[in-house]
This record gives sequence, C-alpha cells and structure tokens, in this order.
Amino acid sequence: MNALALVARREISTRIRTKAFIVSLLVTILLVAAAAFAPKFLDRPDKYTVGTVNAQRLPLEAAAPDIEFAWKAFPDEGTARKALLDGDLDAVLVGDARVLTDGEIEQELGVLLQSTNREVKLGASGVRIEPLRMESVGADTRYQAARTGIAVVLVLVLFMLLIGQATMVAMGVVEEKGSRIVEILLTSIRPWQLLGGKIVGLGALGLVNLVAILAVGVVASVGSGLATDFPPGMPGIVAGVVVWFVLGYAFFATLAAALASLVSRQEEVGNVMSPLTMLIMITYFVAFYATAEPTGTLATVMSMIPPFSSMVMPVRMAAAQVPVWEVGLAFALMAAAVVAVLSLGAKVYERAVLRTGARVRLGDVLRAK
Amino acid sequence: MLEISELRKRFAGGPGAPEGKLALDGIGFTVRPGEMFGFVGANGAGKTTTMRIVMGVLQADSGSVSWQGRPLTYEDRRRFGYMPEERGLYQKMRVAEQIEYFGRLHGLSGSRAAQATSALIERLGLGERRGDAVESLSLGNQQRVQLAVALVHDPEVLILDEPFSGLDPLAVDTLATALQERCRGGVPVIFSSHQLDLVERLCDSVGIVSSGRMVASGTVAGLRAAEGGMLRVVVREPAPGWADGLPGELTAEDGRQVLLVDATGDGQEILRRAMKAGHVEHFGVEQPTLTEIFKEAVA
Repeated sequence: MNALALVARREISTRIRTKAFIVSLLVTILLVAAAAFAPKFLDRPDKYTVGTVNAQRLPLEAAAPDIEFAWKAFPDEGTARKALLDGDLDAVLVGDARVLTDGEIEQELGVLLQSTNREVKLGASGVRIEPLRMESVGADTRYQAARTGIAVVLVLVLFMLLIGQATMVAMGVVEEKGSRIVEILLTSIRPWQLLGGKIVGLGALGLVNLVAILAVGVVASVGSGLATDFPPGMPGIVAGVVVWFVLGYAFFATLAAALASLVSRQEEVGNVMSPLTMLIMITYFVAFYATAEPTGTLATVMSMIPPFSSMVMPVRMAAAQVPVWEVGLAFALMAAAVVAVLSLGAKVYERAVLRTGARVRLGDVLRAK
Repeated sequence: MLEISELRKRFAGGPGAPEGKLALDGIGFTVRPGEMFGFVGANGAGKTTTMRIVMGVLQADSGSVSWQGRPLTYEDRRRFGYMPEERGLYQKMRVAEQIEYFGRLHGLSGSRAAQATSALIERLGLGERRGDAVESLSLGNQQRVQLAVALVHDPEVLILDEPFSGLDPLAVDTLATALQERCRGGVPVIFSSHQLDLVERLCDSVGIVSSGRMVASGTVAGLRAAEGGMLRVVVREPAPGWADGLPGELTAEDGRQVLLVDATGDGQEILRRAMKAGHVEHFGVEQPTLTEIFKEAVA
C-alpha cells in the first residue's frame, strides 16, 4: 500500500472509532429523518370533521381529493351544537340550507361547502357545468415547494460537512506539526503524501457522512410519503451533490491545511483559519439566498464562480432547472480552481510545516524559493 | 559510513538580531558501521540542528552529509531511524498500532510491520501496554514507544536526539541495551546526551560540540590520552621537603601529603623520592572523566 493510502487509512480508522464521529453521524441521521417526517406531522393535509343534522353529505371528497373529511350524523341540532362548541366539529350542515360554525368558518371549508352545494343543486335541476381547465404558461411549478425544501436541507448539510471536515483537516495538520510527529513522518514519506492522505482520508469520512445523510433522507422521504412530492431527476440531483461536495471539500480542505501549517498550536488554528471560515460562511449565505431565488442574477452568477459554485450550483440544481452548459462551465471552473489550490496549498504546506515555533507568515512562505 | 562535513547553518534573525544566529560553524564528523557515537555539548551548541540537517528536516546553508560515500538522499533517510528532540507521537493512537503504522510508512509490508512491532514491544517491556493509548502512558513508556518507532523498520542508521533524557535508570538500561544490540549488528548510532557518564559507558567515540564547531572528537580512550592523565601520589608521614623541586601541586591532609602532577613527566623518579620520604599509600595515573574532558574542551 502506498504512503498516501496508509495515511488516509489511519485518518479514517482513528476517527471512525471516536465517540464524536459516531454520535455526530447518528445525530445528523436522526435530524435528517426527522426533517423527512416532519411535514407529515406539522404540515399534515387539512382535515375537516363535518356534522349533519337531517342533511345529505355533500360530495366534498370529490371536489378536494387532497383533503380528508370525516362525517358525523346527529339526531338533532342541540347535540350537534354542543359537539361544535366542544371543538369536535368544524361545521354542521343542517337541513340543506344552513351551516353552523363556532365563530368564523375555515375559508377553504366554506368555499368548498358553498361550491359543492351549488353544484349539487344545479345538477339536480339538470344543469351541467364543465369544470374550468387550468393551464400554466410559466415554468412547471408543481414541485417548487419540494425543490426549495430539498435545497434548504442541502445547503445546511453541505455547509456543516464542509466546515466540519475542513476544520478537522486543519486540526490534524497542527496536531502533527505541534507535536513534531511531522519530523518523523517527513523522513519516511513526502509532504504531498502526508497532506494528500489526510485530505483524502478525512474527505472519505465526509463522504460517508454525506452519503449516509442522503440515503437516510431518501429512504425516510419514501417512508413518510414526502417522496411523492419530489421532482423528477432526483438521482441526478443527489449525484450532483456528491460531486460538488467533493470539489468544494478539496478546495476548502486544501486551503485549511495550508493555513494550519503556518501555526504550531491548536489555539492558533481558529485565528489563522478565520479568512477561510469567512469564505465558507459567505458561500453559505449566498447558497442560502439561492434557495429562495434560484433563478436570480446573484444565484446565477455566483453558481459559476469558484468556490461559491461548490455550494450554490447544487442548490440551484435542486431548486430549479439549470441549463446543462451552465453546470458544465461551473464544473470546469471549479475543477480548475481545485487544481490551482492544490498546487499552491501543497507548496505552502511543504514549506511551512517543518518551521515550528512562531507563526509563519504566508508572505514569507510564498516568497521563499 | 556516515560522513558529516563542514556543515554551516545560520538562522534568520528577527527585528532584534538582524544578522541572525550562527548555529553551525563548519561542524563535521564521521560515524562508522557498528560505532556508537555520543554527541555532547552545551544547550544550543548545535547538536539538534546537526541531527535535523542529517535527517533532512532542516537544510544546511553549506556542507554535506554523505552515506556510503554518496550524498545522502531521501531514499537513504527512509532507512534511517530518527528520534527527534521533541517527542512526536499520536497521543490518541494505541501503542502497537502506532509502532506498526510507522513501520508501514517506512515501507514494511503489513505482516512484517506487525512482526517487528511485536518483537519490539516485548524487547522494550511494553507488553502490557500494547493496546493502550499513548497519552495514558508514563513519560518513560512514551519514550520507549518513541524508540520503537525509530527502530521498527530495522534502520541502517540511528539518529537519536536525547533518547535518555528524563528516564529512570532501569529504563535507561532497557533503551541502552536495545541500542547496543543494533550497534553490534553493524548499525551506526548517533545520540546526543547530557548524561556524560552514560555516554562514557556506552559510546565508542564521542564528539564534543561547542558553538557549532566540533571541538574534540575521537574514541573515549583517545580523548583521554590526548588530555593526559594526572599522576596522584599519596605518602603517609613523609619527611618534610621531600617534594621540593618536583612539578605539580602538593596538598596535605591528616598526616598524608598528596602530590598531583601531570602524568607526562618521569613517574619513576617521583616514586623513588616518595618511597624514600615515607610510606607510599597510592601511586597511579588517574584518567580524566568525560565530564572533565568536556569542561576542558568547551572552556
């Protein structure tokens, strides 16, 4: 096994055993599952209980198939009124002319009752009315809510994973530098093998996290029935997220390693990483904004520019239809940026990681031959 | 043979000291296969800097390090064993796992690394701690692990910076024996230490470094010979004035007189006069200790 693979394997095997890793994975999985089931409980389909006193049921189910109706027949108006006041009923149909409510009626239910009543009466007198045909001239917006929901969850997941894994890379680099393990390591392997192994190993863990989250999300959505609202092309969206995560992670983790190699103590990591943290935060904010305005100018432009594209593009892809050429261009630019950052980051790391003691200045490292 | 020659290194200065600090000023020495080389010198004399340059952790401004007659390469260094001054281990990793990991990084196969790790763990008396995280070990045991990390790949050369510092005598013995075994197997061993008695006991040759220069080097016996011993004569109740005209320093203590004189002079004449003057209790050349040689050399 080559040195890079050995380093990566150590990163994976030592972290995967830690309580922190297992707990955080379980918590995320639970959160994602909860998010998939939440709409079922919070946003459950409207349900009305309608009482009847000497009245025929109106064909409400046929008029509004998405809404659930329960019917209760009452022998007299008095018991119906009581049930209404107890909150057991939303409305009571009395005879075929009156509706009793407790306060104002739910607007939706009121409109439904009025229109079905009218339809039934007209039907009885032989009048048939063709229902209006609906036609959209704009984009297909059937899945808009689901798309936005998916995009919001994605932004959060990507942000957490990117910042989490990048921080871990930084901590790992400083652990090795501060304890001088790096001196022994670099007499047996090359700096790029050590850096590469660390980035690959921690990236693989991030990917495990991401795939677990996506899998749980999809399975839980199917289980909760949320998946029926998913737009077509979900596999593509999921695959896209994985690819964009890999690109974004490679970019941010390499920068994190390069910055961390400038300092020797864990306490200094936060400080030296702050420009990078800021960059990830900005990316996150833009991506979050893009969930609401996926076709806006800001989202469109930022989804092309690395490294913002790593989060904004997958969000746009989830939230709206994105022309293929835009995705291709964004991908090419981001891939180029990753290559550039890798070569620059490796250089900084190689030059700084053995210079222990005081914080090394980035300028010095870049200027040194 | 490991040859270090004419190493120079100046560390960049800060705002306070614009010309920096000259750490190495042309230091050089040679270590032969199977030789244990003790590297001694005051703090800041340049021992660590030299070792770091040999291991490629630091670049020299000038000078060279060669191994088997060729300039030392990265590939050569991979077959060296190194113990840096500041101990470096993964605190959360388990003992056996850690030793094995470094073995594999040095290019051992999985099974060979496991084998070498088990052997070293036994050899260094870490058997009961093999599954423990390094951070839970005592300093002495951590040092044993550190040495195991330096030894696991059967290195061709050993470079150890202060391997014995902070160890109890038993741990010193375990480590020393392990090093001597390697040394007998033909491995050149360089180690630095402030424990001069230990260096004197273990090393075939010694290098004394001061201000980045090698001020004395050679076998311990050779250094002593060069320094020259002192002839010490103790005479009980001698006739007064017996030592008049003799070189050296005469002191008296409860009825005895002690004459300390450079051993290069004529000892026989002194012995004759002493015997004539009184009862000679002691007559012998005393070799300087390494500590004395060291103090003399860096003075």
